[in-house]
Amino acid sequence: MSFRRFTNRSGKDQDFAEEIDSHLAHERDANLALKLSPEDARRQAMLRFGNPRTLREKEWLYRSIPFIESVRRDLSFALRSLGKTPGFAAIAILVIAIGIGVNTAVFSVINAVLLKPLTYPDPQALVTLVNTSPRGNFPGASIPRFSLWQQQTGLFQQVAAYDFGGSGLNLTGGDHPQQVQGIHVSASYFQMFGAPFVAGRSFNAAEDTPNAGRFTVLSYGLWRNRYGGNSNVVGSTIQLDGQPYLVVGVVGPGFVTDTPADLWVPFQFDLNSHDMVTFFTAAARLKPGVTLQQAKVQLRVVADQFRKTFGADAMPPGGGFGVVSLQETMIGDTRSRLLVLLGAVAFVLLIACANVANLLLARAAARRREFATRAALGAGRGQIIRQLLVESLTLSLTGGLIGLGLGLTGVRLLLKVNPGDIPRIGEDGSGISIDFNVLLFTLGISLLTGIVFGLVPAITASRPDLAAAMNESNSRSGTGFRSGRLRSILVVAEMAFTVVLIVGAALLIRTFKNLESVDPGFAMHNVVSMSMSVSGDRFQTTAPVAQVIRGGTDRLLAIPGVLDAGVSNCLPMAGGFGMGFDVVGRPKGSSGGGAGFCSISAGYFTALKIPLLRGRLLTTRDDAAAPAVVVINKAMARQYWANGDPLTGQILIGAGAGPAFAEGPRQVIGIVGDTNDRGPDTDPSPMMYIPMAQMPDLETALNSRVAPLWWFVRSQVDPHTLVTPISDALREASAGLPVAHIRTMEELEAQNIARQRLNMLLLSVFGFAGLLMAAIGIYGVMSYSVQQRTQELGVRIALGAQASSLRNMVILQGMTLAIIGVVIGSGGALWLTRFLGSFLFGVKPLDPISFVATPLLLSLVALVAVWVPAMRATGVDPMVALRIE
Amino acid sequence: MRSKKPSEAGEILQGTLDLLILRTLVTGPSHGHTIAQSIERTSENALGVEQGSLYPALHRLEDRGWLQAEWGVSENNRRAKFYRLTAKGRKELNAAAGRWRKMTHAIGLILGESFE
Repeated sequence: MSFRRFTNRSGKDQDFAEEIDSHLAHERDANLALKLSPEDARRQAMLRFGNPRTLREKEWLYRSIPFIESVRRDLSFALRSLGKTPGFAAIAILVIAIGIGVNTAVFSVINAVLLKPLTYPDPQALVTLVNTSPRGNFPGASIPRFSLWQQQTGLFQQVAAYDFGGSGLNLTGGDHPQQVQGIHVSASYFQMFGAPFVAGRSFNAAEDTPNAGRFTVLSYGLWRNRYGGNSNVVGSTIQLDGQPYLVVGVVGPGFVTDTPADLWVPFQFDLNSHDMVTFFTAAARLKPGVTLQQAKVQLRVVADQFRKTFGADAMPPGGGFGVVSLQETMIGDTRSRLLVLLGAVAFVLLIACANVANLLLARAAARRREFATRAALGAGRGQIIRQLLVESLTLSLTGGLIGLGLGLTGVRLLLKVNPGDIPRIGEDGSGISIDFNVLLFTLGISLLTGIVFGLVPAITASRPDLAAAMNESNSRSGTGFRSGRLRSILVVAEMAFTVVLIVGAALLIRTFKNLESVDPGFAMHNVVSMSMSVSGDRFQTTAPVAQVIRGGTDRLLAIPGVLDAGVSNCLPMAGGFGMGFDVVGRPKGSSGGGAGFCSISAGYFTALKIPLLRGRLLTTRDDAAAPAVVVINKAMARQYWANGDPLTGQILIGAGAGPAFAEGPRQVIGIVGDTNDRGPDTDPSPMMYIPMAQMPDLETALNSRVAPLWWFVRSQVDPHTLVTPISDALREASAGLPVAHIRTMEELEAQNIARQRLNMLLLSVFGFAGLLMAAIGIYGVMSYSVQQRTQELGVRIALGAQASSLRNMVILQGMTLAIIGVVIGSGGALWLTRFLGSFLFGVKPLDPISFVATPLLLSLVALVAVWVPAMRATGVDPMVALRIE
Repeated sequence: MRSKKPSEAGEILQGTLDLLILRTLVTGPSHGHTIAQSIERTSENALGVEQGSLYPALHRLEDRGWLQAEWGVSENNRRAKFYRLTAKGRKELNAAAGRWRKMTHAIGLILGESFE
């Protein structure tokens, strides 16, 4: 069969008409030649030919595909019929657009985060190397571990090391030094990730050995912005922290890393080092054919080998090595969060479907006679159902299209305001885009919803009792039991779904409020934090770092309005470094997992107003020359000195961590209050604070490489107004080091609970949308029922019924539906909120407040929605009602 | 009532109209009216072409790419649509004619000599 048959149908029909005319003319000519009269010649020609119109119709049908033909007809009918009731069409489309919009929004995030493969070649083979322990898996690598992993050539094609976050480097040599994100990597890094190079090459193995010199690879962004995309920069040197680095290559624009980097420098590990400090991450590419499971099994053997070589100190019993897919590592616990959201939006969509189905049922009831007429004229059930389905699909596809735009715009706006700590979504959610998956999803749910909400009304409408419908003199004599009951069921369902949504929202709102009210343990107001990278060669020992801190603090305190200033190598609420320690006089290793570890300046506690509980705080006199001291927090005192006085104790920090951390015992001199370093929803962990001036030199060198100095300045006035003098003072004190990441502690805290805020916001929006739709639904059903019963109500009034009793009757009917829905919904919520458990803080999934307030709220809204039609019922004028026909 | 009633052989066998059209056009392009006349005349009026089925057949053959149509001017100096056999159509004609001959031969074999 040729497709040509179906093309240009009307053009061909026109052509055929002309052809027929031509044929008749020729036949007439022939008849004239047989000496017929002109009139006879014409008549005979027509008779011989037959009916041209029939012929053309047949040809038209031959050129049509019957199914498409009828759908096209139904579609144009649907458009006309919907066009006649624009109000109905607009509401229905809007409701669907909201339902599909929120689904598209959540799905587009799921698509970007969970479904899209990583952008590296063959991403399934990429794994993160982790340390396994009975408490879970932890990423993190030390040089001896990395070295051993690298030797497993039977398992891995490449093993690469890179630091997470990094300390920041100062790009010097221009007029303004600029802090850039520099990531240390091993030479295998670029090859493992399959990074494309636009100029030059990756580091070679020789460049990644100790004392090989200074080399760097630039990111595409830095190369374009700072060096104008000039390829000549490869082979030249740039200044980093005052030192020349040879640029060996520039990576392509498509290379995206989880922590965005401006440039990379080689680690230059000494692979023979026995330094056990964990300060970077390692990832690997599995050899083709090696499965995750095989790798895990093999790594158990490697862990035993490691323990044999380095002793049980380096690898506690129960510990081991493992691999986790890199994508898994990046997604983390976001999966369950997104799935809960998907569940919530599915509820919104169900509510929307119920709502539109309800509207369609009302509409179908009003069109009963139309369908009866069609059926009487010979339309089959299938034809009527098809016609109604085309109508509902028209609605759902239009709504879907609007929803697609609405959802994607909405989600990007939302994530711009609040990225909510979701990985893989790019800067401000720019990684979320329309692709085939999203389009398919939206099309799929549009079709599905169209069928779901269209089918029930269509089937109901396709079963007309012909005689009854046609003979019905009065279109107001009721809608029949069946469609009335169906509509009631739909309203009950809407109410029930809404209860579930709103209980969820209430739980998350309470969670967020609880988190916000948690005392962080330090001052938030008028405190600003900023980072200073001390990565250069001149900060490889402790004295110059202490010098910068002393000078900077003095200069800051001289600024009018500044109250206190302090420094730490860790940022509160961002989590710190863990470090093993031993209490002097107790068995080695009895401290278990160790404690958090911060090196700080004397002003740190006062700048953040962390309260002293016992003993004394650090002072500027606790310097390298003074006896070694440490301040601990309350959690540490409670955990390790349950029956004793910590202030009499001494601790050995960094036991077993390698030569960099080797130091003598430190006297505990003070106990300070706890801070919520690991986020407000986790209990404070034990912390040790040591004076930065007393750090061992090797440790300072490592510190300078992996973390910046964090400055904290508390002021009398809004710290934003002091940013310029503060940065200037610090630049002067450090001989030109810039500061970056300037944020107030309030901003940091907001960022810290951003994910809970986003969860709460989204569920509140969904809950509100559900509530609105449910209210519209119950209002619609009750006012329709009142309208249908005008005559009955009129009779009742004429017979002496009181207005108030009529009103109560309607309210009772409406509220019965609402209450049934609320009860069912509460039951559903009791069961479903268990899935929210891990997202809650300070509130139980069966929170009585949420479970009492939500049904009350919903009943109240239902009452308002029912009140209006109830009042209308009392206003029925009996004379008008009885004469209405 | 028809002006030129075809003789008793009557209606053209189903499926053979295509073959006849294709054969008629071997001699050169013609329009619908001529094709009908020519089939009737060549068959010595044994076959009458139902005019209502001629045109659908022509269009079907055109859709299949066996014919190509073009408006032109007829011998009567009237506008008419002329159909021309394409190379593809010629091939089809050969194949169809072969099939037809095989079939009539086979039917002839079964029927044998005249019974009367």
